[in-house]
Amino acid sequence: MMWSSYLYTLAWAAITVGFIVVSSAAVGLVARLVARMRGATLRQQHDTFAGYAFASPWIVGFLIFVLLPVLASVYWSFTSYRLPNPPQWVGLQNYVRLLTEDRDFRAALVNTFYLVVFGLPAQMVVALMLALLLNQHTRGEGFFRMAFYLPVILGLNSAVLLAWVLMFNANTGFVNVSLRALGAKVPLVNWLVRAFIYVVELTNAFFIGLQNGNYTLLQKILAAGFPPPHRVPLWLQSPLWIKPSIILLLVWSCGSMMLIYLAALNGIPREFYEAAAVDGATKWQRFRHITLPLLSPATFYNLVVGMIAILQLFEQPYVLLRDSPTVARGGYTVVLYLWRATFRFNEVGYGAAISWILTVIILIMTLAQFKLQDRWVQYELR
Amino acid sequence: MVEKAYEPSEAELVLLQSRRQRSLKWQEVVGRTGLYTILVAGSVVMLFPLAWMVLTSMKTYEEANAPQLVWIPENPQLTAYIKILNDMDFLRAYANSIFVTLLAVGGTLISVAIVAYAFSRIEWPGRNFVFFLMLSTMMIPFQALIVPQYVFFNKVGWIGTFNPITIPGFFAGGAAMVFLLRQFMLQIPKELSEAALIDGASHLQIWWYIILPLSRPALATVSTFLFVAHWNALLAPLVYLQTKSLYTLPVYVASLVNPQQTVQPWPTIMAASVLTTAPLIIAFLFAQRYLIGGIVLSGTKG
Repeated sequence: MMWSSYLYTLAWAAITVGFIVVSSAAVGLVARLVARMRGATLRQQHDTFAGYAFASPWIVGFLIFVLLPVLASVYWSFTSYRLPNPPQWVGLQNYVRLLTEDRDFRAALVNTFYLVVFGLPAQMVVALMLALLLNQHTRGEGFFRMAFYLPVILGLNSAVLLAWVLMFNANTGFVNVSLRALGAKVPLVNWLVRAFIYVVELTNAFFIGLQNGNYTLLQKILAAGFPPPHRVPLWLQSPLWIKPSIILLLVWSCGSMMLIYLAALNGIPREFYEAAAVDGATKWQRFRHITLPLLSPATFYNLVVGMIAILQLFEQPYVLLRDSPTVARGGYTVVLYLWRATFRFNEVGYGAAISWILTVIILIMTLAQFKLQDRWVQYELR
Repeated sequence: MVEKAYEPSEAELVLLQSRRQRSLKWQEVVGRTGLYTILVAGSVVMLFPLAWMVLTSMKTYEEANAPQLVWIPENPQLTAYIKILNDMDFLRAYANSIFVTLLAVGGTLISVAIVAYAFSRIEWPGRNFVFFLMLSTMMIPFQALIVPQYVFFNKVGWIGTFNPITIPGFFAGGAAMVFLLRQFMLQIPKELSEAALIDGASHLQIWWYIILPLSRPALATVSTFLFVAHWNALLAPLVYLQTKSLYTLPVYVASLVNPQQTVQPWPTIMAASVLTTAPLIIAFLFAQRYLIGGIVLSGTKG
């Protein structure tokens, strides 16, 4: 019984390999035929055959797993389609419902934008700081680089995310217990934590107001005033704290951004700094007028890649939200909502519409970044 | 009359210089100490969740859920490991994860290497167009395809099997990986394959005997990326597997937390987490330099 599912997939893998070989040969032969009819030389015919045959695993895969699904899903997004019933044309109804009626979807959109607006800059600033620290020709650079990069490898695995769930527990979790202990010893820490709580809760209450058009929570927090000494962050237990928790995880796994910055820092010629030092520029001036501008291509890359990654966030909210269904609406991301809305009741039409809205958002925001890059990305010093 | 500016004597100059050097050195010592303090503190923060995972897995249930923080378990014990290793579903999930990852990484790696060869070592009409098409598919988020692909796999009866999370990779899944490998293969001198072609070798032979051995570092990078991606994958297995006996590790381990209970069996969960994470860490330690090279390559030349 146990082996049958493996054998089944292995058999299909063998069939697939056979299919790829045959289809590659077929694509190559057709390409060579066309080349011959166009009067190509023998060598050109040979290369045409080989080129198409070698590229055809991707070409065939593109047709089956990308082009066909894309076309089908555009159509299905305009239908009411719940498996196993056939699709029925409903025009724009899915999109209208998503954008005007569906409050969970609106919450997911607001949450995702919140994570982009607050999480992305936090990630990039920390990544830059770590890269600047590592760029001081420190001993053991290899070890530190590894330590800072490891969370990227682990950060999406639900096993590691569960360790965070344990640490974020509001009463007995490591984070809050140490905050309490530190706050009891050092009054300044206590005061800082309370200020942090105040700022986070006010911001998040405002965003929850944006989600449901009801600002009573914000008013309540304002009325309660500055948090009393015993307060600690509620992390995963409150809709006010779920997004800051996710941002903390994002910052924790900023290692690949750091590596990009580090590579860019290595590419800045020493002479620039020496020349500036001779002219009497201070450290800050050198950072502001040499390092920062010359890092702007790396910043641009991190911005685009990081933004796309956050718009597609799924694992973190999935694992963090399992613990407490009550905070769900504070933590839904678009992809998490796509999964919930589509696959629980096989709502293909609705899910297709969500995925197209997501794709259009990603495209628009990426294009906007590319349009805006001329204004601030510098490839050399001016 | 021009007043002569004060000129320090030789001895004074030496004294001044040594004093300046001493203060510079002093500053440097302070700066370096601060730097290392921050770096060490940073790594502690970054690695802490892992340490906490291991520590918790060796605690008793009472220690793990105690209101007073227990740093180091009083009597470190392996009860949690014994418990999770006797959990047939966990072992099954482990076997499933190994099977799925090996098959998907193997199939993807070979097909990606074939396609990258076409885009870097052969001149053929339409190459630029097809390459551009491939790069533009990177703009389509994987999540946008999962809905229609689900319908497609449902039609052919593949839901509830490992096929949807392994087979698509055989078609050179992952344009970024093809791109990375192509960049690497472009750097291999053209003369190598030209000479072999004149000697009558076929492209398949050149690919296998010349290009693949020379691309080993890039292949290591790609396989590590693929391994990490498949070992961590959550969304696709959640959507396609649907039966507990087919769950991969991330899906199964996530299901160990029961939202209905207030007290979770944390030591057991963390023992499962440690065992799930171990292959990743081992792979990372072995392939570290390839990974870091790969990220920089795809970032700076992309």
